[in-house]
Amino acid sequence: MSDTPLIQLVDVTKTYHLESGDFMALRGVSLDIMENDFVAIMGPSGSGKSTIMNQLGILDVPTSGKLSIDGRDVSTMTPLERTHLRRDTIGYIFQKFYLIPLLSAYENVEYPLILKNKTRDTTGRTAAMLEAVGIDKEMSEHRPNQLSGGQQQRVAIARALVNDPKILLCDEPTGNLDKKTGFQIMDILCNLHRKGKTVILVTHDPKVAEYALRTIRLDDGRIAEES
Amino acid sequence: MIGDIFFQLSVRSVKLNFTRSILASIGIVIGVVAISTMGMLGTNMALQVEDQLSESANTIAITADAIRMGPPGTGSSSSSSSSGITKAQLAKIRSAVGENGTVIPLYSTSTQFTRGTIQGRGTIYGMNPADVNEFLTLGNGTNIAGINEALVGMTLAESMGIDIGDRIKISSASEGPPTNNTASASRATVTVVGIIDPRGTTADSVSTDNGIVVSKEWYTAQYGGKDQYTQVNVLVTDVDQIPEIEEEINSAVNTDKKKQSLRISDASSQLETISDTLSTLTLFCLAIGGISLVVAAVSIFNVMMMSVNERVQEIGILLSIGTEKGEVRRMFLYEAFILGILGAGLGGLMSIVIGYSVVDAMIGTTEYFFMPASISYVPLGMLIGMVVCVLSGLYPAWRASSMDPIDALRGD
Repeated sequence: MSDTPLIQLVDVTKTYHLESGDFMALRGVSLDIMENDFVAIMGPSGSGKSTIMNQLGILDVPTSGKLSIDGRDVSTMTPLERTHLRRDTIGYIFQKFYLIPLLSAYENVEYPLILKNKTRDTTGRTAAMLEAVGIDKEMSEHRPNQLSGGQQQRVAIARALVNDPKILLCDEPTGNLDKKTGFQIMDILCNLHRKGKTVILVTHDPKVAEYALRTIRLDDGRIAEES
Repeated sequence: MIGDIFFQLSVRSVKLNFTRSILASIGIVIGVVAISTMGMLGTNMALQVEDQLSESANTIAITADAIRMGPPGTGSSSSSSSSGITKAQLAKIRSAVGENGTVIPLYSTSTQFTRGTIQGRGTIYGMNPADVNEFLTLGNGTNIAGINEALVGMTLAESMGIDIGDRIKISSASEGPPTNNTASASRATVTVVGIIDPRGTTADSVSTDNGIVVSKEWYTAQYGGKDQYTQVNVLVTDVDQIPEIEEEINSAVNTDKKKQSLRISDASSQLETISDTLSTLTLFCLAIGGISLVVAAVSIFNVMMMSVNERVQEIGILLSIGTEKGEVRRMFLYEAFILGILGAGLGGLMSIVIGYSVVDAMIGTTEYFFMPASISYVPLGMLIGMVVCVLSGLYPAWRASSMDPIDALRGD
């Protein structure tokens, strides 16, 4: 394992230009996340949790400062290069699952593979991923709206994992689930961490944060506490 | 394309909003039908006229008409020095034409006919009976065999009630140029042996419909002017050779560069003018059809914008998990293309049915309907319909691909 951080934020700021005036969502955040780390990001609403997740997911770029992911400075990359880095290195798990409604569970998981290989999956990887998260063949033929919240989140995890990304970004992954299902999902994430994935999760729930190796508390766009 | 995941997404999106998609496609159906039908109507009209004219398209008409064809200022335009095409000129024409066609010399003048008490007026043509079958079509009866026999045009026959075997008195007073009143009274009567089928409008100005055809011997005996032909028609074997043959004849007979003695003309210029007019008319009709496609384009654009707006969050998901902007654009262009296929397919089928009925009703014949020039308007209309659909989808597709994934995920 390399000593170079997998993710490195150096004095990152993010400013939004609003009609009411400029709003600084991140104020000089510096953070190193090593490979196979398990980081929980917590903080009150408006503290900058979503903004930092958007930065880590390369959905947005910093206003100033430097963000490196897997050794590459994202601010110097073209939009297409950022899209490819996101597709190949990051698996995104959302609170609202965000499965593609027109595709079946199987096709949702197969989708990132198609994006990467430009062809349908003939290797059986999609089916294996679904099986690994506890979705059987019959269930995999259902559309997202025919699945329960827990099942949808399992499909979303399988989708996030199918391209074998180094980083798993989880935005409130248990936020829309009951307690029992939430714990099952967290068990899956812990298992993935044990298998070498770098897991970063945003949560309001201290019990969920306890699964992480370390917790970063954000407040008013700054890192207030790291434990 | 069928196996493309983005095509699958587009197909499912269209299926999900099937009624809306079909309604939007109806605009394209109407547009395709309008363009195809208008195009086919215009082309069928043109084909019919061209067909009628092409019956005399192989004819070069040479007249001793004294109208000057040279550049202005080279002489008087009303000189009438020539009284007909001479034997020498005819020989030159025959030599210039050679094996490339048949040369038919004609005498003609306007005169009065009498059958019993019924009188009529028309043109009398004198020609070699051997040329009759080359030049005219007999509807009834036989060709001229004897000196006092004649053929009568269908229109004249109907208007004067002439039938085969009838005798017609022909006035010796001619209104034409050859006037040599040496004819005897006995030769002023002819017996009708055949009725000539209508020639209609022809480019060589020979209208036998309201006329009588007699042998050249009878004509010159009646009106004089032997070997001074009013007109010479050349029926060419290959219409593509007309310009060369005309040039040959011109250089053979019009040796005086300053003064053209014989006028040479053919159907091509007349055909060209009519074809141009009909093409303009067809284009105008197509433009009217095109207006309906503009309306259809607005409808497709509207449906595509609705689709983009309804799928904002889905676009956000696609972009956030690594879909390229170009792939999102492709997905929406596929959707527009599917709407185009639906509209153009249905429009193409309806075009054949409606176009056939319209052409039958307006022109009275569907003889030309399945000719490539006519039926090709169906695929053309379909192609235009599909292109219009895809063009209408360009902006919505661009808009979808330009969305900020974070805003789109929020559903903004």
